Amino acid sequence: MMRGSNKMENYKKVVKSRIWMLSLIVILAVGLGIFDVFWASDEMKESTIYGFQSGVIDALGILAAIFLIRYKKLLHNEKELKIQYNKENDERMKAIKAKAGMPILLITSLAMIIAGVIAGYFNFTIFTVLIITSVCQLLVSLVVKLIYTKIM
Amino acid sequence: MYTRIKELRKEKKLSQEELALAVGTTRQTISSIETGKYVASLPLAYKIAHYFGLTIEEVFDLTEYL
Repeated sequence: MMRGSNKMENYKKVVKSRIWMLSLIVILAVGLGIFDVFWASDEMKESTIYGFQSGVIDALGILAAIFLIRYKKLLHNEKELKIQYNKENDERMKAIKAKAGMPILLITSLAMIIAGVIAGYFNFTIFTVLIITSVCQLLVSLVVKLIYTKIM
Repeated sequence: MYTRIKELRKEKKLSQEELALAVGTTRQTISSIETGKYVASLPLAYKIAHYFGLTIEEVFDLTEYL
């Protein structure tokens, strides 16, 4: 069994690796943003699929930047780090997430969004169906999560 | 399930947040256990009881499971 201090040391390493991953996402999003502004052709910019793809990447970049700042702050505050660790390992929250179909629903939704964007370059109907299905799937999961948060 | 957590917390002048931090859970979970909405797992029940220096039976009313 892991002792408390070991657990927190391991969690610090997890947070550091998350910071590294998030930094990569931010750099990638900024890089693609620069490409979008300076090198993307007008034909590309007019494409709905390309617009959606750029929007998703920009949103991911912004979210990654927010989480990056949050995790950096956590590393300098032991109490907040412990609270965050408790939040992530809370048994009630784990039970609620399991009832809401997480994490498998999130994985399948992300896979459908990626597949939708790729398929979108060939067939717009497949793109629309896959994106709407994944969004509906995520919404149902969110509603189930909210219901169980109230009753548990 | 009835528990004495709230009463024990008041005796020690502890907030839900402080107890949650001490036993490795969240304030919301402590609140749910206190109101009987959520039944704590055995490890969490043990941690809470151990924190107050009592046994699980002294903190949690387990008679409905007999």
